Amino acid sequence: MKLRILVADDHEIVRRGLCALLQKHEGWEVCGEASDGRQAIEMAKQLKPDVVILDIGMPNLNGLDTTRQLLQYDPHFKIVVLTITDADQVIREALDAGARGFVLKSDASRDLVSAVEALQSKRMFFTPRVNDLVLRGFLDKGHAVSRNEPPDLPVLTAREREVTQLLAEGKSSKEVASLLNLSTKTVETHRSNIMRKLSLHSIRDLVVYAIKNNIIQIQMPLPTNHTTESTVV
Amino acid sequence: MAVRILLVDDHPVVRQGLRTLLDGRSQLEVVGEASDGIEAVEKVMELRPDVVVLDITMPRMSGIEACRLIQQKAPGREVLFVTQHDSPQMMREALAAGARGYVVKSNLARDLVEAVEAVSQHREFTALARNPRTES
Repeated sequence: MKLRILVADDHEIVRRGLCALLQKHEGWEVCGEASDGRQAIEMAKQLKPDVVILDIGMPNLNGLDTTRQLLQYDPHFKIVVLTITDADQVIREALDAGARGFVLKSDASRDLVSAVEALQSKRMFFTPRVNDLVLRGFLDKGHAVSRNEPPDLPVLTAREREVTQLLAEGKSSKEVASLLNLSTKTVETHRSNIMRKLSLHSIRDLVVYAIKNNIIQIQMPLPTNHTTESTVV
Repeated sequence: MAVRILLVDDHPVVRQGLRTLLDGRSQLEVVGEASDGIEAVEKVMELRPDVVVLDITMPRMSGIEACRLIQQKAPGREVLFVTQHDSPQMMREALAAGARGYVVKSNLARDLVEAVEAVSQHREFTALARNPRTES
């Protein structure tokens, strides 16, 4: 039986590169390609892939929330996240969301196959920096990378995070409602709850919150290697 | 004779993606790859490709600067930019640096082969995401 892999990234040229990498490996096949998180969830439920590869910075639903939702639906999904940055906070969130593999996009041609192999044999795969962070957390319990270390911010529900992303991407309440199959009124209620919980006063504040918390990533050229700082606003 | 192509992008996975679009076309041949502007200029001198497919934002030396150097040091190459900068201003700068083509990455699957063929015949090919492509 072939190992079936679902690939989700919003850049077609990157998806093509990823698929070419994966398909060279004997015994693996790409069973589906998605261009955002919502599509990835639909396809994963339908295709039941053995491994799901998710870009973190996708529109409509980012890779971290996609990971959370997929694992809530079925905790057996094996997920590798692809990221343009290995900033501590992104690593923490990815681990916390339940990803078992963490690969930098710039290193994907070297690491992706290893990551999928690791997951295939029920191990995990992380970049050296993630390993360092986890080890440091383990050795220094005061700053542990623990599952129970919430950010200082009030926690949004999964639905509220989805709404936050869509609003921060510039969609109107009506557009959000149609995307999520909700009434406009419900979306507006979510929106005012989000603003209240986070003590925000404008959509502009919401966008800043979404960027700072990795809910959206600014659309810009793929950063060059070793300049991950440039992606953080 | 096949058109000889050099692929330049700092992300190997993107270069791999570009290859998949060009592979299997007998009239197009990828002769080499480079991962930044400096390496691009070196490889151009060494391999003398007909077309250089060039990313803009790269470490060490940007594609724009590499393009200027390539025109200076090895005239006769045609440069096609592939970039995520969906901006008319950047496109003007790129063409002013001596490039013959400019395609945004989101359109590559549709446009790359046609763009490479156009510039290899010394025709201009530009395509921004918002604007329809133009060829002259």
